[in-house]
Parts: sequence; C-alpha cells; structure tokens
Amino acid sequence: MRNRLKVLRAERNWSQSDLGERVGVSRQAVTAIETGKYDPSLPLAFKLARLFGQPVEEIFFLEEVGTGE
Amino acid sequence: MTSSTPSQSRRGWVTPAVGAIWILLYFGARALLEKPPGEFGTAARVVVALAPIPAFAAFLWLLIRGVRSADEFERRIHLEALAVAYPLAILLLMTLGLLQRAIELKFEDWSYAHVWIYLPLFYFLGLALARRRYA
Repeated sequence: MRNRLKVLRAERNWSQSDLGERVGVSRQAVTAIETGKYDPSLPLAFKLARLFGQPVEEIFFLEEVGTGE
Repeated sequence: MTSSTPSQSRRGWVTPAVGAIWILLYFGARALLEKPPGEFGTAARVVVALAPIPAFAAFLWLLIRGVRSADEFERRIHLEALAVAYPLAILLLMTLGLLQRAIELKFEDWSYAHVWIYLPLFYFLGLALARRRYA
C-alpha cells in the first residue's frame, strides 16, 4: 500500500515526530508508514485522515497492479 | 496507539535498571553457589538460588507493561522478534534433545542451566532483524 503522508506532512512543515505526537505513535512508526514498509491499522489510518482533513482513500491507496502488457 | 509521554521517557531508565539488578543478583548467586556446600547450609543455598527471581519477575512485568503501552508499530516489532525467537528456541532444544540421544553432551555446557541464556539472545536477534526490516 502506498500513501501521500510525506507530502501532506511536508505541506504543513511538520517533522515526523510532530506527526507522530499528533496521532499517538513514534517517529519510527511514521517513518515506516511513509516508506510503505508498514501499513497502519484502520484506527490509525482514520486518525491520520481526520488530522489531514481528507478521506482515508485520498491518503492511502493500493499500488497499481500491472496487467502484464 | 500511544506514544511515549515525557513521564514515560523519564521512567525509561527503570526497566534497564531492574534488568541490571537481576543480572547482578544472578551472577552473584552463581558465584555464591560455586562455593562448597559445607560453607553455608542448604536453606541458605536455596535462598541464594531464588534471590534473582523477584528482580526477574519485576523486569518481566516492566517489559510486558512496556509492550502494552507501546504503539501498534512497536508491538509489531516485538511480535516479529518473538516469531524469530520462539522457533529458534524450539530448534535449539530439539537439536540438543536429539544430540543427547546420539552422544553424551557435557552437562556443564549444554544443560538447561546454561542453555537458557540463548533464549533472550534469540529474542534480541529477532528485535534487531525486525527493526532493520522497518528502518
């Protein structure tokens, strides 16, 4: 799963620690989510969506699956 | 989903300190129990042997409390560490069990009294692998 977290965070000039504090997770968790190494739980995804004022699907989305063409 | 608060950060030294006390008591007890049985009675030896247990129980309780208060990402790290450590522990014990049936393993090297130390080492290995994966 990919996400726009890094862009949204940068738009607000927040550090990863700032964002982590706002949603109650560590800086390492934010790093892992931003790099796509860790997919957040639904409650955390909704918290992030509420924080940025956008629907969850505008922030998190599945990677396009290639058709083989 | 919680992050470490300032008060939690201030308490961050408690778990390592209790762990250090447990290790000191453990090696102290081992050193005392190396002395000949005649130097102090059986009851005293049992007390010495059990002396590290309260500190270890406190250490374990603090660890469990730490995992419970960790955020979901940190709990994932600990889960993956256990997923590495537990099979490795089974593998070690099974291998030693089979080898013991095949050949005579030295009690001083391979009894449960010495092998247990590998179990936390496997856990720390699992922690390192999990942290590296998500770094």
